[in-house]
Amino acid sequence: MKKLMALTLALLMTLSLAACGGKTEQSAPADSKGDASTETAAFVPSKNITWICTSSAGGGSDIFSRKIADIMKNDNLVNGQTIVVSNETDGSGEVGRNKVATMKAGDADYTLLTFNSGDLMPMVKNTKNRSSNFRILAIMAVDKQLLFSCPASEAKTDYAKAGGDQNDFAAAIEAAKNGTFVVIGGSKGDDITTYGKLLAEIGLTEQQMGYITYDSTSDAITAALGGNVDFVISKPAAASQYVESGDLNAVLALANERYSGNLAGAPTLSEIGDYNNVEVPVWRGVAAPASMSDEAVAFWSDVLGKVSASDAWHTEYLEKNQLIDEYKDTAAATEYVTAYEADYMAANGLS
Amino acid sequence: MENFLSLLAGFQVALAPENIGACLLGAVLGLIVGAMPGIGSLAGCALLLPLTYKFNPTTAIIMLGALYYSNMYGGSFSAILLNIPGDSPAITTALDGYPMAKKGRPGQALMAANMASFIGGTIGILILTLTASGLATLGLKFGYAEMTLILLIAMTSISWLIGENPIKGIVITMLGILVASIGMDTLSGAPRFEFGNMYLLGGVPFTPFIIGCVGFAQVIKLINEREADEKKRANEDSKTKLSIRQSMLTGHDFKRMLPPTIRSGVMGTFVGVLPGSGATTGSMVGYAMQKKFKSEEPMGTGAIEGIAASEAANNAAAAGAFAPLLALGIPGSGTGAVLLGGLMMWGLNPGPLLFDSNPEFCWGLISSMYMANVFTLLVAILVIPFLIKILSVPVKYMIPIITCVCIVGAYSTSNSMYGVIVMFVSGIVGYLLDKNGFPTAPMLLAFVLAPMLEKNMRKAFIASQGSLKIFVDSPLKLVLLAVFLVLILTPVVKSIRRKMQAKKAQA
Repeated sequence: MKKLMALTLALLMTLSLAACGGKTEQSAPADSKGDASTETAAFVPSKNITWICTSSAGGGSDIFSRKIADIMKNDNLVNGQTIVVSNETDGSGEVGRNKVATMKAGDADYTLLTFNSGDLMPMVKNTKNRSSNFRILAIMAVDKQLLFSCPASEAKTDYAKAGGDQNDFAAAIEAAKNGTFVVIGGSKGDDITTYGKLLAEIGLTEQQMGYITYDSTSDAITAALGGNVDFVISKPAAASQYVESGDLNAVLALANERYSGNLAGAPTLSEIGDYNNVEVPVWRGVAAPASMSDEAVAFWSDVLGKVSASDAWHTEYLEKNQLIDEYKDTAAATEYVTAYEADYMAANGLS
Repeated sequence: MENFLSLLAGFQVALAPENIGACLLGAVLGLIVGAMPGIGSLAGCALLLPLTYKFNPTTAIIMLGALYYSNMYGGSFSAILLNIPGDSPAITTALDGYPMAKKGRPGQALMAANMASFIGGTIGILILTLTASGLATLGLKFGYAEMTLILLIAMTSISWLIGENPIKGIVITMLGILVASIGMDTLSGAPRFEFGNMYLLGGVPFTPFIIGCVGFAQVIKLINEREADEKKRANEDSKTKLSIRQSMLTGHDFKRMLPPTIRSGVMGTFVGVLPGSGATTGSMVGYAMQKKFKSEEPMGTGAIEGIAASEAANNAAAAGAFAPLLALGIPGSGTGAVLLGGLMMWGLNPGPLLFDSNPEFCWGLISSMYMANVFTLLVAILVIPFLIKILSVPVKYMIPIITCVCIVGAYSTSNSMYGVIVMFVSGIVGYLLDKNGFPTAPMLLAFVLAPMLEKNMRKAFIASQGSLKIFVDSPLKLVLLAVFLVLILTPVVKSIRRKMQAKKAQA
């Protein structure tokens, strides 16, 4: 009796687990008959769609993917088919991206991939995959960055200890030139690229103005609040509430013109000295396997355009995350991403 | 005083019938999921998060808080009964919990873990109530140099696990550090030891690695012991029955575990508050500290003090981690990040404004933690007799069941077979190492702590431009450095003194 009970208990645990895991698996049996008829006519989805997101559930990319999938379903843009968002994070996302890049025709029409500037950079740097191994369907939104500081924090850096003004980036450049070490914090992907461009523009070396990499922007902001860095690179949305509460100050707009609202006080680089403005757009887009048919590419690009024009997209996504609305269809997006990639590779000496 | 008034208002929210129900449901589900080896609090919270979407934010976060909390309790069950730590904070619980269960006192070991969790958690919540927002700013005072020193202190806990052969112990520790360094460099993003393999670019995933090294290695061991076990069972006439009453701790047990529990509870809370340290560092520092105090049995052989120190610190740190999460929006751990994701889904922005803009939510959550703590304790005690039945299942049935659980747990971390492969490989390697007298625990601790230590130390050196002065330029750093030196030097001094005394006796 006891054995039986224990066994049942153990089995129950395993089963309930298996049930939890099962949900996220894709359940799309290949329907070969349906594919043949789509060759000539315009593409209409006739089976479930798998949306691969190479970041973990709950993060920015995941919310982006699920929001678009929601709007597609609610506005009945995908012929009543189900979109399954699958988070594939193995190998920092490279495995998921490679799977999409090498997918065979057929399933390719039913596979979408979240593809951001933050995904492109490590991919180009660490693997042989390039944006040309994908079809770029659309760019949905663009973000820019600012430099923030927390002057009220405990002075832990050389610059702060030497009495440097963390509200004045021009003074920090001057101090760095005269031998006081200034340190900037930010995340791995987009922010470090912006830092590189900033450094090149103001003509300093990493030994004069250093950079500490954090796993996420929120970690970097924490470091600024704790006084561990002098300045932190962040997108407006992540820093917004700290600016509102007075904990962070916007010091420099990394854009061609000033921001509005509570960030309007931050000058651009050309305003504080004889420099060009530094602006590295951070884009969020959607890609697909290279083997996706042209009809399907046209269909998805169009559907994504409808999503970007919907009210829900504006109120529930763009406004909430303070992003710039910038839809580019497949042709414009491909051109844009290709240029971005070439620029990045040239800057990092990649070929 | 103001805090207590707010807390009372919070209880009004938390004691609404639907919130009590959510809390109870969260406690039961969390305990079940947390008790499954390899799931642990991080995967548990992630799996159960979607359940809470149906509720309003306050009810949902109360349920999530209860889930988080009871997951922490549950993690110790498989550690004690099967020697499979559900997640990293439970590694140190297994060190003494499993030997104690093997000694024939599994009920008491579970009860000790539950009681220590409860007391440690209560201490954590009390400190959180009193200081909530102040505590968070205290955490910010810790720079990279301070964190490096704290992690060095946590690292010393490895030395207690090394066992009889120090060389083998050091080899295995280095192996843990080596495995941890596979993947992307945390600061520069450059690939390390990935040998052109795309999977290795993301590093060796923690959960499958630990399930393999400990859980699956255990299965291979069980296969070898199968025949012996059947013979033993045939000879055994009366099987021991265990009830709640028989699992009760004696007054003496309680006296043994109380001091380490309170010490670890207070210390764990503060470690939990530090950004990026979380429950794992908490339980390891707690365990390392306990080594310096007296315990009746040697630590690592089933000492109840060891279970108490590790569990109290881990639950206190879980409570402490809420301070930076709520007041600054900083998740202290992976689980914290899932909670943060949940909060943002409901349109709440944890951060400096949260206590002002949503007081009923913040205090509702804090007061619900008191409730969750009590509920979880009750549920945990009630399930002890059921859990103990696991131990009376014959080995031949346990082998396939644990194997299944190992595979499912390894698969669920990233929903891919990669985790399962890592689990099998590390299981076989873990078994071979263990068979040849290499203890695996130091490898796991090194695997968890080394990346954190590397990250903080390198950041400290960037900030100081390579100067060592950064580790000694404030009183706090000097105190931490002194603690570290005392911890590593006392055994050396002791052995020198012993040798000198022996010489004197000879002369």
